[in-house]
Amino acid sequence: MNNEDLSKINSFLSFKLGDEEFAAHVGKVLNILEMTKITEVPRAPEYMKGVINLRGTVLPVIDTRIKFGMPPTEYTTNTCIIVLDIDLDGESIHVGALVDSVQAVLEFDSSSIMPAPSIGSRYRSEFIEGVVNVDEKFIMILNMDAVFSSDELSNMHDKTKETEGSTAIVEIE
Amino acid sequence: MDNFKQKFIEEAADLIEGLEKALLLLEQNSEDAGLIQQVFRVMHTLKGNSSMFGFELIDRYTHNLETVYDLIRNKKLKLSRDVLDVTFASVDHLKQLLDESNYSDPDFITLHNSLIARVSKIINAETVVETVEKSANQDIIPDLAKEEFTYYIRFEPINEIFKNGTNPLYLIDEIHTLGKALVFAHLNRIPMLIELDPLKCYTYWEIILVTSADVATLNDVFIFVEGESKIEIQRVSEEDILTDDFFTSELTRIAKIHKDIGIAATMKVAEAAKKRFLQSKAATIKKEKVGLKDASISSIRVSSEKLDSLMNLVSELVTTQARLSLFAEHNNTPELISISENVQKLSRQLRDTAFSIVLIPIEHMLTRFQRLVRDLSNDLKKDVVFITEGADTELDKTIIESLSDPLMHIIRNSLDHGIEDTHLRLQKGKPKQGKITLKAFYSGANVHIQISDDGAGIDPDQIREKAISKGIIPPDKKLSNKEILDLVFLPGFSTAKKVTDVSGRGVGMDVVKRKIADIRGEVEIESEYGVGTTIIIKLPLTLSIIDGLLVKVDETHYVLPLSAVDKIYAVEREQLYDKFNNVLVLEGKQVSFFNIRKEFELSDSPLPVEQVIVVNFEENRVGLVVDSVVGEYQAVLKPLGKHYKKQEMISGATILGDGSIALVLDTNKIIKLFSRIEDYTMNVNSGNK
Repeated sequence: MNNEDLSKINSFLSFKLGDEEFAAHVGKVLNILEMTKITEVPRAPEYMKGVINLRGTVLPVIDTRIKFGMPPTEYTTNTCIIVLDIDLDGESIHVGALVDSVQAVLEFDSSSIMPAPSIGSRYRSEFIEGVVNVDEKFIMILNMDAVFSSDELSNMHDKTKETEGSTAIVEIE
Repeated sequence: MDNFKQKFIEEAADLIEGLEKALLLLEQNSEDAGLIQQVFRVMHTLKGNSSMFGFELIDRYTHNLETVYDLIRNKKLKLSRDVLDVTFASVDHLKQLLDESNYSDPDFITLHNSLIARVSKIINAETVVETVEKSANQDIIPDLAKEEFTYYIRFEPINEIFKNGTNPLYLIDEIHTLGKALVFAHLNRIPMLIELDPLKCYTYWEIILVTSADVATLNDVFIFVEGESKIEIQRVSEEDILTDDFFTSELTRIAKIHKDIGIAATMKVAEAAKKRFLQSKAATIKKEKVGLKDASISSIRVSSEKLDSLMNLVSELVTTQARLSLFAEHNNTPELISISENVQKLSRQLRDTAFSIVLIPIEHMLTRFQRLVRDLSNDLKKDVVFITEGADTELDKTIIESLSDPLMHIIRNSLDHGIEDTHLRLQKGKPKQGKITLKAFYSGANVHIQISDDGAGIDPDQIREKAISKGIIPPDKKLSNKEILDLVFLPGFSTAKKVTDVSGRGVGMDVVKRKIADIRGEVEIESEYGVGTTIIIKLPLTLSIIDGLLVKVDETHYVLPLSAVDKIYAVEREQLYDKFNNVLVLEGKQVSFFNIRKEFELSDSPLPVEQVIVVNFEENRVGLVVDSVVGEYQAVLKPLGKHYKKQEMISGATILGDGSIALVLDTNKIIKLFSRIEDYTMNVNSGNK
């Protein structure tokens, strides 16, 4: 399936980090795994949880909560690893994202996706593709390529404000 | 059809590469008829193939070139520098011609036409240059000496020959020493026993001799019996027809029936043999022509994708086999254990064979460098010879692919900055011709490639100054010579005073170092100011599998490359903790050590005894403390992925028999990191980010 075909599909996988609900386009999701033993890689950044064996290949796993500026994930029976296909510098790589729980596959028309509020957001705007209102809940649709690019070492939670003062992101805790 | 075209392009690329190689040799030895023949042959094949697959431009182009070399072959044209230059330009052009997308580029067509014009000019100039006759004659003389003729010799000694003490057999023997001989002894004149006079010789001989000697020499053999005995010597053929089976069998047949062959019959049979001989000779020449192809019949062309997938499968198999071994161990079934051991043996063999397939000799990339040196030394007006040693050293093809650029850069550096101008060399008392040597050899599980030049060398003071002026090192910093030389591997460190077209465009040795590091190799530099520079590249034999030592630290398994491991000692924990300096005394020698738990910020080990693995680090032995040693393990290396790019000390991961993951440690990097050796490269790198 090429990108054009993918963009015609309006299905999104929603998942929870803490109390907040996010969604990713299903075209990006390869797999959902139960939590397994993660081999830690020493001296790596905290959000890089380690690697797991995904049917013979080595898959790096990222703690999405740390990446989003939340406390580290506590493992429960609902904890899952979503295997994502990320486009990194034009190269397709696979990454596992630790999430607290996977919710559902939602379908909504692209017209119902609203642009993310550029002011008042806790998250850096380039990571959010839009916001959608499902059953009175706001679900943030993430740009997975941007979130999991390895160059984005800083937390999603904006800490680069000092250096990039012009990006009009205000931190509200 | 496209498939065939692809095949043609692949084959043509090979042919062109062969052509380039032959041309480089030909340049050294322009009189070598064999090489000229080879060049001609390649062009001919290229021409034929390209017209078959509709590459008209190549067809026409090679047709002209072929004409040139045909003229040279027939000594009608001298192989001049000009011709060679055009041919080299043509080789480059032919490579471009293989890519049809170039055809629409107007610049390309202009180049094409100008090259064709140059080639035609050479062909047309042919009538003017006729001064090659002399050298042609010289060529023929040694050929003549080798030529052999076939003689017919009839030797009928007089009956009384024994009386003057001559043994005719000795004469026959002497004839034999001159060459190959087929001797018929005719006994038909021997009378019945009653009439036989034992003092008389009744036997006579007919001999077919193949020799390079002339008739006079043959006559000399019979000089003492001449006049009395009947001797007949005649040349029957200009060729060695004794090799013709039919000739010999026919003669033998005649000798049996008629008891006597006679010159007439011999001539007749020889005539027939001659014809066949010439035919077979033509056939051998043809065979020689396709010799290049015959030689490669024992090998086949396989796409690299297929090889890659084979390698992947083998890697999977090794992983699965590890699982099987583990399972067999836990399931005490004797039969299962023997099966699993067999599988282990087979997969190990399969692995070794598969890996040897992807190893190719570095010779494949050397032509490119020969060419580079030739062209560059021309451009720079320097006289430089490029010498290669150990071209048959084999490396993983992916390594060879990624090695080409860095090597190119190093050689370019040597040519441009290393080798001095001719007059400067003479002033310094060095030979006029500069020398660049590329030497490849195996060293343990590694391959070393050394590129040395006998040029100016690197001035350590200059490097130092530059590093200070760039703020890389503080002015009062004391550095050893080696440390100073290592500074050239820093990003943005280009020491050439002036930036030339050839090298020194800002991308310097740091790129070389990074590229080599990408294939898990290391670069070192040695240089003596005024004498020359040597760059040593150390490479792993293969990228995808290593023999390792599996160890455990806390909950995680690690693999250390077995090639680095020297010895393992069990040491009590009192000796390892709360020490002022991290030094152990092992077998009477001091060994500094690092506790991996501590370095990885893990809690201290609860075990009473830990294992110290002594590894070789540069010239030293360094101990690494781990919880326990599991055993030897064949690790199929899997990349950790881009996200872990910065974890340099880990060269990859491998999947263990139970499905869990072990990390493969790069002992050199890890020790450098632990000992906090001032690695400016790292500092600068992190500073950039």
